[in-house]
Order: sequence, then C-alpha cells, then structure tokens
Amino acid sequence: MRLLLLLPTVTYRTVAFVEAARRLGVELTVASERPSTFEHANPAGLVTLDFTDPTRAAAQARAFARELPVHGVVGVDDDTAVIAAVVAEELGLRGNSVAAAAAARDKYQQRVLLAKAGVAVPRVECYPIASDSQELARHAPYPCVLKPLRLSASRGVIRADDAREFVAAFRRLKAMLEEPEVASCGEWARHLLVEEFIPGREVAVEGLVTEGRLRVLAIFDKPDPLDGPFFEETIYVTPSRLTPAAHQEITACTQATVTALGLRDGPIHAEIRYNDEGGWLIELAARPIGGRCSGALRFGAGVSLEEIVIRHALGMELPSLEREGQASGVMMIPVPRGGVLRHVRGVEEARAVPLVDAVEITAHPGQTLVPWPEGARYPGFIFAKGDTPEGVEAALRAAHGRLEFVIG
Amino acid sequence: MTPADIRITAEPIDNGRCKFLVSEPLHAGGVRRFASPDEAQGSPLAEAIFAIPGADVAEVIVSGNLVTVVKRSPAAWQAVGKAVGHAIRGALAGPGPAIAPKAEAPASGGMDDALYERVADLFERQVNPMVARHGGRVELIDVQDAVVMVRMAGGCQGCGMADVTLRQGIEAMLHQHVPEVKGIVDITDHAAGSSPYFAAAKK
Repeated sequence: MRLLLLLPTVTYRTVAFVEAARRLGVELTVASERPSTFEHANPAGLVTLDFTDPTRAAAQARAFARELPVHGVVGVDDDTAVIAAVVAEELGLRGNSVAAAAAARDKYQQRVLLAKAGVAVPRVECYPIASDSQELARHAPYPCVLKPLRLSASRGVIRADDAREFVAAFRRLKAMLEEPEVASCGEWARHLLVEEFIPGREVAVEGLVTEGRLRVLAIFDKPDPLDGPFFEETIYVTPSRLTPAAHQEITACTQATVTALGLRDGPIHAEIRYNDEGGWLIELAARPIGGRCSGALRFGAGVSLEEIVIRHALGMELPSLEREGQASGVMMIPVPRGGVLRHVRGVEEARAVPLVDAVEITAHPGQTLVPWPEGARYPGFIFAKGDTPEGVEAALRAAHGRLEFVIG
Repeated sequence: MTPADIRITAEPIDNGRCKFLVSEPLHAGGVRRFASPDEAQGSPLAEAIFAIPGADVAEVIVSGNLVTVVKRSPAAWQAVGKAVGHAIRGALAGPGPAIAPKAEAPASGGMDDALYERVADLFERQVNPMVARHGGRVELIDVQDAVVMVRMAGGCQGCGMADVTLRQGIEAMLHQHVPEVKGIVDITDHAAGSSPYFAAAKK
C-alpha cells in the first residue's frame, strides 16, 4: 500500500512520520511544496505539490497516482490538512470533505459554523486590517483577543483589556499580517478577528475521527495560565487532572465541533477552555498535535500517534488506542528573549532530572529566536513521564530551570 | 577526569533509536557497529549496553564521541538512556579501551571493502552533487556488515528534511545501485547543525 505523506519543508514532523511509515512497511511517497534534490532519482518516493493551490495540488497528485496508485493521504499540519482533503476527494481516498477541512482551517468560518450549530464558542467579529482601530476599540468586548485567521502556534494572538491595548494590539498584528511572507498567503491575511476572552483552564484534546465519530486519544492539561497578553504555549500533561464530569463535557464539546464542521475521517487537535459554564471550543484543527509534542503519546505496546494516523488513513487495522498507563508531559520551551542563539547550557543537567525522558533542542546555533506574538518557533522540547501528572509537571519545570540559553 | 565530569547528551530520534553525545572520545578508530551481544565481546561499552535489562538492544554504533543505540523494547528512553549513560561512564573509567579496535575479518571485511568502494563512488558521482544544491554534504563513514554509516554536514546537518533525504533519497539510491547494502545509519549530530537548509517551525 502506498501512502502519500504531505510534509511541508519546515515541519518538525518529518522523522516521526517517515519512521512510522517505515515501521509499518508501507510504500511511502513524500510530497513537499519545494522539490527534493533527489526527486528525479526517486520519482516514486518524492513528488512536489503546490501547497498554495489545493486544486493544482490535487491535479498533480492525480497525475502521480496515474503512474503509481495511492491508497492513503496524510497531511501533517494546518495547510496540508486541507490539501490532503482535496487530494482524498480527487483520488477517492479516506479523509475529510474539502468543505469540512477548509472550515476547520479558517478560524472565522469555524466559529460561525459552530455558533450556528449551538457549540459554545467565543463571540467573534472579523474586520479588514485596513479598518480604523480607534473606532473598533470603542465597541470591542473587553477583555478581548485579537488574532489572525490562520497563523499557527498562537502566533499573532494578543489580549486587550481596554481601548489603548486594543489599538496597540491591532497595530502589532496588522504589521505581522503585512509582512511579505504572510501578506502573500491570500485574502485571509487582510483580515483579523476580535473575539471575547473566555476565562478558564485550557486543555488540548487529541482525537481520531472515524466516519464522523470521535475517539478521544488524550486530554492534556495546560497548567500554565493562558491569560495573555500573549499565548505562547508551554506545558502539556496527560492525563488531565480535571474531573471525569469535566472530561465528559470536553469530549461532548469536541464531538459537537467535529459534527458541526462535518469532519469525517482523520486526526483532530482541539483547544478547549473549561469553566463554570462548561467547555468552550477555542479552536479545532483537522490534524494531529504539532511540533514534537506527539512524542509524549504512546499507545498500547508503544505505538506512536503517527503510526495510528497512517494506519487509519490506509484503512489498516488499528492497534489498541489506549494510552500507556503512565502520566506523560511535554514542555514547549519558551523563547527566553529575542536574539541570536549562541549556545544552550545545562542540557545534560536538565536530562538528569528524575522522570525526564528527553530534552531536544531544535533551535540551531546562529538561529534568531523571536518571542511571541511575532514568533512561532520553540527552541526545543522537554519530555517527562511518571506515575502522576503532578510529578511530570514538576519534572518539566525543574528541567527547564536548569537550561540556560546564551543569546547574543 | 572522574565519571561525574563526563557530560552526556541524549538525542532520541524516535522510540527505537537514540544518539548519545559524550564529552570524551570513546573510539578513535573510525566507526564500530555491533549488531549482537556476540559481536560486542571485547568492547566493554557495547557489552554493557547490550546487557541493559529490558531494553532489548538491537544495535550499538560508536564513532568518536557519539554512541547510537537501537532498541526493540517499547521502554522509554528515560530509563534506558540513564542506563546507557551509566554504561558509558563505566566503560570510560575502565582500565582498557571502551571499544576494541576493529578486528580483521577477511570474509565479510573484504565484502564490506568492496561495498565501500561502490558506495563511495555513488556518493561522489550522484549523492553529493545532489545535496550540494542545498548546501549539503554527506560523508561516507564506513560500511560494516553491509550497513552504510553516513554523517551529514552543511545544509543537511539539522535540516528539517534530513530524514527524507536519508530515506527517500540516499537509501533509495543505494537500493537501486548497490542492492547488497542492507541498511543505512545516520550518525550525524543534527543538533549541532548551524546552517540547516530547512529549519522547522511548529504548525
């Protein structure tokens, strides 16, 4: 069986997905938006698709599949989740409808659809970036959050508590959306969202949808308060320490979202706020968890999330979807400050912290680190496992405390 | 130098493979690969790693100050990695070399030498001109028991697509042009790459 794996060249997910495909023994074709220098040497294993134009990408995939039948397609991030849906529809493969994937990709469209379906979502308005920010500030619901329609990893998401902060946040986000690399991405970059801030604890839900039915694979607590003004993520720990009743509400909220968007088949990753009123859907993406964070998840006898996603896409039998018994967590290491990374000290000391499984520094020496909200690249990841979520969280914090980023 | 002074950094590649960067050199005589406890006999470091309880180690590769461990067990690197660190410190503190020099093995050694020549030729004529377009370079380190060991440099070192280059590019070409090759192992310290062609961002 041949898998078409849509891998953007800037993804963290390469090793996890490529090695999972190898373990499963499937024939693998990696599709990227820029050609590999080996594409002519291995035309069965490498192909270039236009990730900026789903219709063109589908035609390119169709041409490829005429020569070599494709049995499944997997996208690994927000953009390629939409491309995967278009390719799946074109080739008659398992996946989401294009409309559902597109709705999940666009934060405004997603909220409108969910609100109509009765899913609890923040009230939101969409404005052109050419709008008069002073005028908008007079009518904004405070506290509120300004965010782009599509950027990932909480990039550009800023809280404002009053008109002065609103205007400053608007200018800052507008400047980001006007950067050439973003502005060229499409009409969405000429708009921004203003939505009410929902207080409460935030969790992430990792799930697998089969014929519209959600199977929750893990609920992660995010123990660091995400109250702004920026929303850089840090620690994820599973199992969640919320009550079973809260888990049920969160699961129901996620399933309602899947149903409202019309998602049918594939992985989902949702961000949900939970407070006295129940679960509030903040965002749902039709893709697995990002970054290196999937390393915190193992199922059954050590099966990775990527293996499950690939098996599902190819219609292969699924192994146990029960997460391993231990508590597990990951810390996306925050950017300490902007500047050029010279060196990271204390990696071994961090790794020596009891319960710490791995410390992966993904930023390279000489890389410019950019803090949130403009930034979107974590300098690394820390993983820990233990008997309790509390112990895992403490280990992640202790390990982080031993790292020193030397920035020039 | 006491065992406590030795610094070891673990870099898991996936649940089955992990690289360990050691502050002290472990083996100066090129690359040594051990695919079984029997092959590890005489090399205290490899013997100790194969003996880690519950790890079911399948392979140990040592080059300079880098140790790559491949295991079959689903056990987390959290536990196995610490045992590997203990083994490294113990081997370095021992009276003899941590890794024995490569023994002459006329039969398989001759075959590996012949494969080395063919692989080196493939690298020179095709692989390196291809990766050079992205500022990269792939160094053939050794061929042992028909397994090719490579180190990536330049734009390939730390590149987000390095594994695609390795598996879909180099390994596929080896299968096509040198089908006797049984596998390929990347012993690159990717974390030290300072100019990766593609740098990753969370999506």
